[in-house]
Amino acid sequence: MKMFNILSIIAKYVFVFIVYTFIFLIIRMIYLDINSLSKYENYNGAYLKLLNRLDNLPYKLNDSYSIGQEISLGRHNDNDIVLKDPYISKHHFRIVKDENEYFIEDLNSSNGTYVNGERIFDVKKLAYGDIIKVGNIEFMFINQE
Amino acid sequence: MEDLKMNEVERKKILRVLSVMVLLNITLVLYLSYFQIFQADKIKQNSYNKRLWANEDKVLRGSFYDRNKKILVYSVKDEEEKINRIYKYDHLYSHIIGYSSREYGKAGLEKSYNSYLIDDGKFFDINGVKDLLDKESIGNDVILTIDHDMQLKTRELMLGKKGSIITMNPQTGEIYSMISMPDFNVNTLKDDWPKIIDDTNSPLLNRAIQGLYPPGSTFKIITALSSLQNNIINDDFLCSGSTTINGYTIRDYDSKSHGHVDLNKAFRVSCNTYFAEMAVQLGQSNILQTAEKFYFNKDFDFDLDIKKSSFPTDKMDKTELAASGIGQGKILATPLEMLMVASGIANDGNIVKPHLVSKVLTHDGILVKSNDIEIISNVGSYDKVEQIKNMMVEVVENGTGTQAKIDGISVAGKTGTAENASGNNHAWFVGFAPAKDPKIAVVVLLEEEGSTGGSKAAPIARELIKFGLNNIK
Amino acid sequence: MKKLNFKVTRNLLFAFEIISLSLIFLFNWPNIDRNTIYISLGLIGLVYVSNILLFKLSKGDHYIFSIVCMLISIGVIMIYRIDQDLGLRQLKWLYIGIVSFFVTYMVFKSYDRWSKHFNIYLATSYILFFGTLAFGFSTHGSIRWISIGGISFQPSELIKIIFIFILACIYSDSSFLSKPKLIKYKEPVTMILVYSFIAILFIQRNLGASIVFFSIFLGIQYIYSEDNKYTILNILLFSIGGLIGYFLFDHVKIRFLTWLNPWEYIDTIGYQITQSLFAIAEGGFFGTGIGRGHPNFIPLAYNDFIFSAIVEEMGVFTGIAIIMLYLILVYRGFKIALKQKDVFYRIISIGISLLLGIQTFIIIGGVIKLIPLTGLTLPFVSYGGTSILTSFIALGILQGASEKEIYGGPKNE
Repeated sequence: MKMFNILSIIAKYVFVFIVYTFIFLIIRMIYLDINSLSKYENYNGAYLKLLNRLDNLPYKLNDSYSIGQEISLGRHNDNDIVLKDPYISKHHFRIVKDENEYFIEDLNSSNGTYVNGERIFDVKKLAYGDIIKVGNIEFMFINQE
Repeated sequence: MEDLKMNEVERKKILRVLSVMVLLNITLVLYLSYFQIFQADKIKQNSYNKRLWANEDKVLRGSFYDRNKKILVYSVKDEEEKINRIYKYDHLYSHIIGYSSREYGKAGLEKSYNSYLIDDGKFFDINGVKDLLDKESIGNDVILTIDHDMQLKTRELMLGKKGSIITMNPQTGEIYSMISMPDFNVNTLKDDWPKIIDDTNSPLLNRAIQGLYPPGSTFKIITALSSLQNNIINDDFLCSGSTTINGYTIRDYDSKSHGHVDLNKAFRVSCNTYFAEMAVQLGQSNILQTAEKFYFNKDFDFDLDIKKSSFPTDKMDKTELAASGIGQGKILATPLEMLMVASGIANDGNIVKPHLVSKVLTHDGILVKSNDIEIISNVGSYDKVEQIKNMMVEVVENGTGTQAKIDGISVAGKTGTAENASGNNHAWFVGFAPAKDPKIAVVVLLEEEGSTGGSKAAPIARELIKFGLNNIK
Repeated sequence: MKKLNFKVTRNLLFAFEIISLSLIFLFNWPNIDRNTIYISLGLIGLVYVSNILLFKLSKGDHYIFSIVCMLISIGVIMIYRIDQDLGLRQLKWLYIGIVSFFVTYMVFKSYDRWSKHFNIYLATSYILFFGTLAFGFSTHGSIRWISIGGISFQPSELIKIIFIFILACIYSDSSFLSKPKLIKYKEPVTMILVYSFIAILFIQRNLGASIVFFSIFLGIQYIYSEDNKYTILNILLFSIGGLIGYFLFDHVKIRFLTWLNPWEYIDTIGYQITQSLFAIAEGGFFGTGIGRGHPNFIPLAYNDFIFSAIVEEMGVFTGIAIIMLYLILVYRGFKIALKQKDVFYRIISIGISLLLGIQTFIIIGGVIKLIPLTGLTLPFVSYGGTSILTSFIALGILQGASEKEIYGGPKNE
C-alpha cells in the first residue's frame, strides 16, 4: 500500500506534465498553422507549388511558397527557399517580378535550373503552369492574376 | 477570392461570440484558482468533510507541547492497534487546544491545525520519497507559546468567575496564557455534553477571542491617543461629575467631580466627562481612524477563529459619539483586542501579531512551520505613544489602577468599568510591565463582576505580572 | 512537421493511458476483472489506431479528435477508479462512441442535402419530446429518460443536435419559414418554436438543458438575425421567465438558495455541492494522487460531479487543463465555421461548438459553485451512454463539416 502511495504521488506530477505538454503541442501546431495560413491569405499574386510528395523528401519544405516581389532558392540560409541538397548550389535560382510579369534567372548553378524540361541559361519569363525543376524538386508556377 | 458568402458583419459577430466563450472559460479558470488559493483551507475544516476523519485511523496524530516542551496532549496506539488520544489536563486547555472527537467534531487548535496533526502530506510531498516512507503514519507536533505554569496560575486566579484573561509578550506576540471561564472538561465530553449545551453561560465559548464586550474606560487609551495625534487637546477642563450631551447624561463613577483636569489627570483618574466631551470635539472619523489602526473593524490571521471587534462606521449622533469616547455605546471589543491595544502602546506603537503556536515540527524535530514576529500595525509616532505610556504608568502609580502596583517594577495600565445594559458592570484591566522594556502584557476581563476594574481586575493583573516576570523564560 | 507533432501527442496520450491504467489496476489489486484488462487495453489500441486513421483519412481538422481522446481518457480513468462496473460500462460506450464518430463523420460529409429536411427534424423533435413526457421515467427529480428495449436513453441529448440542424435550416433560409409570404414572420415563429422546446424541458425539470438550448439559440440568433431587436427581446423574455420561475417554482428557488449559501443547508439540499467543494479543496493544485483521495464521498461523482472528483485526485492544474482542452475544441469549431462556404454548415459548426462550450461551462461552473448547479453531463468525460454517444455524433458532424467546401487558397488544414 505504501508502494502505491508513492507511485500515485509521483504519477500525479507526471500526469500534469503530460497533459500540459499535450496542450502545449496542440496549441503550437495550431499557431504554426495560423502563421502559414496568414501568408496564404495575403495571396493576391504568384506562388510556387511543390509537386513532390512531402513524405518522400528527406528535408522540410512547405507545399507552397508565395513569391511577392522576388524569391530565391539555394543551399545557403539566406535564400527564401533553403534546400539542403548537395546537388543544389548555394544560390541556385531566383524569380523576380517586373511590371506584373515574373522572370526566372539561374544564378550560375552547377547542376542547372530546368523549366518545362529545358535548362535555362539566362532569364526566362514564366507563365501559368510552368514546371520548374532543380535536382529532384519540382515546382509549378501559379499566377492567380 | 470570389463568392465571399460571409460578410464582414457576420464574421465580426462570430468572433464576438467566440470571445464570449473564451471569456467564460477564463472565468472558470480564475474562479477555480481563487477558490483553491483563498478558500480551500477554511472549507476543508468543516466538520461535514468526512475526509477529516478518513485519514484519522491511519495516522498517529501529532502532540501538543507548551513552550518549555512540556507535553500536554498526545496519541498512543494500544495493543489492538487502536489509537487513543490522551489529554493530560481536563480543563486547562479546553479552549486553546480543544478536542478531536468522532461525535462532537473538532474544536480549538485540534481543528485549525488538523492538517498538520495528521500530516496529510500536502506540505511534504516532494521532499524525497524516503521521507514519505517514514513519515507517512505519524503526524506533526505543535509547540505552543503558552507557559504551562502561567496557564495554571491564570486559571487559578479566574476560578469561580466569568470572563477571560490573556497574557502575552508585547514585543514578540507570544501568548503565555489564555483562559476563558467558564470552561469544560475535555475528558468527560460525552457525559457532560447535554449540560454543556444547555448551560446559559456558554462554556464552549472562548471569550478571549470571541466574547464581545463594551471596553469601557480602557478605550480611553485610544481616545487619548487620537486626541494627541489630531492635536485637539483640552488642557483645562472643569469636571463637575456629569455632563449632558443632547439630553443624555454621562456621569463619572459615583458622579464624583474631578475639578480642573488636563489630559494626563483625566486619564489617570479616568474622568468620563472629559473624555466624553473630547470625543465630541474629535469627531467620529478621527476616533475611527485611530481605532482601526488598533485593529478595530479588522480581521487578521489567528491560530483560532476570532471575532472582529467593532467601532461603528455608520454615522453616530452626538450622544453616541460621546459614549464612544468612554468605551460605551456601540463599541464592542474582545479581550484579545484590548490586549493588542495595550501591547501597541507597550511596544512603542507597533502591534505585533499575537499567536498561540510557536512552531510545528515533524516527530523527529524538523521544522514545518514557524510563527515569527510580525508587526501588523503602527498606531502612532514614538513620542505620542510614549506620552500615553507614561499616562498609563501614572494610572498604576497613583490613579485608578493602584491595585496593580508592584514594588520595584514600573507597571503601566488602564482600568475600565463597562456598563452592561443587561446586567452588572464588566470589570476590565489592561496593562504591561516593566514600562521601559515591557516583557509581559495582560488583559483581565471579569464579566458582570459588578464592581470596578480597579478594585477587582487590577489585583489579578498584578499577580499575573509578578508571576510572569519571575517565571517565564 | 505536423505529422511528427501529432505522433508525439499520440504517444503522450498513450503514455498517459498506460500509466493511469496501471495505477488503477495496482489500486484495485487483486480484485480485477480479466475482461476489463482486455477491454481497456483494446480501447487504448483503438484510440491509438483511430488517431492515425483519422490523420490519413481526413483532410479536415485533426485536432478535435485528438483533444477528445485526451478528455475521454481522463474521464474513464476517473470513473473506473470510482466504480469498476461503471468504468467497464463506460469503456464499452466509448467503443460505440468512437465507431459512431467515424460513421457520423463519413455519413455527414458525403451527404449533401442536410438542409432540405427541416420538417423531418421538427417533427422528430416534437415526437421525442412528447414521447418523453408520455412514457418517460424520472431519476433524481427530472423526467428525462425513455426505455426502449431495455436500454434507457435521454432523448433530450439527441434533440440538442437536431435542434442545431433546425436552427441551421431556419437561418440559412432553407426552411418553409423563409418562403416569401412567411418570411416576415420568420423571427417570431422561430422564437415561439424555441420557447416551446424550452418550456417542455422546463416541465421535465431539465433546467440545465433548457439553458443550453436557450444559449445556443441566443448565440445563433445574435449572429444571423437581421434585426438585433429580436435578440434583445430574447434576453428579456428569458430573464423574465427566469424570475417568474424563481418565484413560482420551488425547484428553481432551491437551486439558487443552494448556490448562494449551501452551508446553511449542508445536510439537506446543500449536501451535494458542499461535498463537491470539499473534494476540490482537498486536491490542491496537483491533486491527492489517484486512489489517495475520497471522490466517493461526493454523490454522483461519476456523473455530474466527475469534474470535482478529477480535481480532487488530479489537482486544480488538471481541472484547468480540461477547461483549456474544451476551449481549444470550441475554438477549432469556430475556426471550422469561419472557413465554410455554405451558411448552413457554418451554423451547424457554430451550433455544435456552442453546445460543447456552454454545456461545459454550465456544469463546471455549477460544481465549483460559480453558478447554480444544474444537472448536466460533462461531454466526453462524464459517465453516460447517451451523453457519450451524442457527444461523439456531434464531433463526427463537426469533423465532417471541416471537410466541406472551404474558401479559396490552397487547402492546408
